[in-house]
Amino acid sequence: MEFGFVLPTASRGSKEVDLVIIGGGPAGLSAGIYATRSGLNAIIVDKGNAGGLAEEAPYVENYLGFKGIKGEDLVKEFKEHALDYLEISERNEVKDIVIEDDRYVVKAERGEYRAKGIIFATGTTHKKLNVPGEDELLGKGVSYCVTCDGYFFRGKKVAVIGGGNSGAIAAIYLRDIGVEPVVLEYMPKFMCEKAYEKIIKKREIPYYTNVQVTEIRGNQKVEKVVYKDRSSGEVKELDVDGVFIYVGLIPISDLAKKIGVATDNKGYIKVDLSMRTNVPRVYAAGDVTGYAGQIIIAAGQGAMAALSAYEDIMLQ
Amino acid sequence: MGYIREEDKKYLRSEFEKNLQEEVKLLVFTGDRCQYCGVAVAIAKEVAELHSLIKFEEHKIDGKLAQEYGLDHAPTVVITDGEKYGGRIRYVGLPSGYEFSSLIEDIIDVSRRTAEVSPEVKEKLMTIDKPVKIQIFVTPTCPYCPRAVRTAHRFAILNENITGEMIEAVEFPEWANKWNVMSVPHIVINEDVQFIGAYPDEQYIEYVLQAYKKLR
Ligand SMILES: Cc1cc2nc3c(=O)[nH]c(=O)nc-3n(C[C@H](O)[C@H](O)[C@H](O)COP(=O)(O)OP(=O)(O)OC[C@H]3O[C@@H](n4cnc5c(N)ncnc54)[C@H](O)[C@@H]3O)c2cc1C
Repeated sequence: MEFGFVLPTASRGSKEVDLVIIGGGPAGLSAGIYATRSGLNAIIVDKGNAGGLAEEAPYVENYLGFKGIKGEDLVKEFKEHALDYLEISERNEVKDIVIEDDRYVVKAERGEYRAKGIIFATGTTHKKLNVPGEDELLGKGVSYCVTCDGYFFRGKKVAVIGGGNSGAIAAIYLRDIGVEPVVLEYMPKFMCEKAYEKIIKKREIPYYTNVQVTEIRGNQKVEKVVYKDRSSGEVKELDVDGVFIYVGLIPISDLAKKIGVATDNKGYIKVDLSMRTNVPRVYAAGDVTGYAGQIIIAAGQGAMAALSAYEDIMLQ
Repeated sequence: MGYIREEDKKYLRSEFEKNLQEEVKLLVFTGDRCQYCGVAVAIAKEVAELHSLIKFEEHKIDGKLAQEYGLDHAPTVVITDGEKYGGRIRYVGLPSGYEFSSLIEDIIDVSRRTAEVSPEVKEKLMTIDKPVKIQIFVTPTCPYCPRAVRTAHRFAILNENITGEMIEAVEFPEWANKWNVMSVPHIVINEDVQFIGAYPDEQYIEYVLQAYKKLR
């Protein structure tokens, strides 16, 4: 057994800053480093742990400079790097933002931050499948996080619904810890990177395509997944003990919308190439902008957003 | 050898230096045939060495203090002032991975003899005048779990009728099975009211009140 230690960072109290970065995932952490280095007085506020969704990534093989690293370990590096520069306030959810004169007042659980600018690096939450049984069996075999709950299914068979990158990584991880996964993909072909496709084939993880899941069934706990085979139209059942759902993400942009930030029809925050939104001194970076959903892109966008904030706040 | 990395120690030392106010006891209850007891003791000792206000003590799980606190699984880690907090802020199983951060935050809160909760939630919390035990099943690789653990522990710091007990589900599979734990955090209050997920204080307190009201 390995012993990882994740360190807490808990800032207390309110303060006046140049920039509040909401969300401490890869985008927010990178933004924090760039903002502080450029001379802005910034703070990162996160409702959970700094690290964000990347903490759920079992194994990252596509971040430059790291051939393979656990998401948890990668974000630990990010976090420690950012901590050299600025304060990160964890378990401190931003609940509201109001505009007072030329300041944004960011109201979080454990303090208020008056700021000249905001970067939304709020990321996404897991999308639900919206089939019967999903809500009823949540916690009874239905899960959205393999690193959290994978252990409970060792020696058992589970369905991973959604065969995109996250679903593919989830299935590979499950196999690694001794679970027997079956991937169910809606589209007629592999929807993940070729690199994952190869591993899935090599490890003989079943990957069914053209599958439309219509129901998750079970009495006290998950017993089977019902699906339509879209090529034949046949309705089939698969006996499983668990279901991990990876069918996409929903942007967290309600607070941004509240202060007038424009989003697309799915709720992703609209940004230009310098990560500016339509509202002055308000920026967005990372998965909440709807680009690519990759750590390296989130980090890059975070840096860009911070540089734009520097231009607008310091150079004006 | 040490479990905590040198650079992490440096960071923790500065956090403790900034935030600790009064003495905190870090108690580890150990027993025979206990796979992780040695590690729990070693980690607690390493943490205690980081600041003079943190005092490490090892106790036996079948001893008097364990009995007084109502503990029966080893290892159990208790964070306390030795008085009003008693054994109410505890971890059954190793607080490693993400839970290590809960442990550190608990040490800071206990040392400050207070915890942060909004006035509205605190008002509800303070109406609880009978024992309520909140158990939180976690896995060390669950990034959402510390929030659920810390909420229970913050409630326990503020209200002496509340006990917050983290249980490491991978280490105690039978216990987890008894409550059909398949997703974490899985919270069981007074062995009765259950919910799954890391909710904000406002929702969390409602579940606690629900369990409390059944006592009357
Ligand atoms: C199973 C899985 C595997 C993955 N594998 C890879 C991989 O191998 N390679 C790769 O590049 N990417 C991978 N990803 C994707 C990667 O995790 C994301 O692209 C990345 O985390 C996005 O970073 P972000 O900073 O934009 O958002 P996030 O990481 O989602 O961070 C957003 C943060 O904002 C916080 N937040 C939201 N609302 C508030 C609020 N109101 N107040 C305070 N804080 C708030 C959240 O708590 C969160 O910490 C994987 C994802 C999953 C689920």
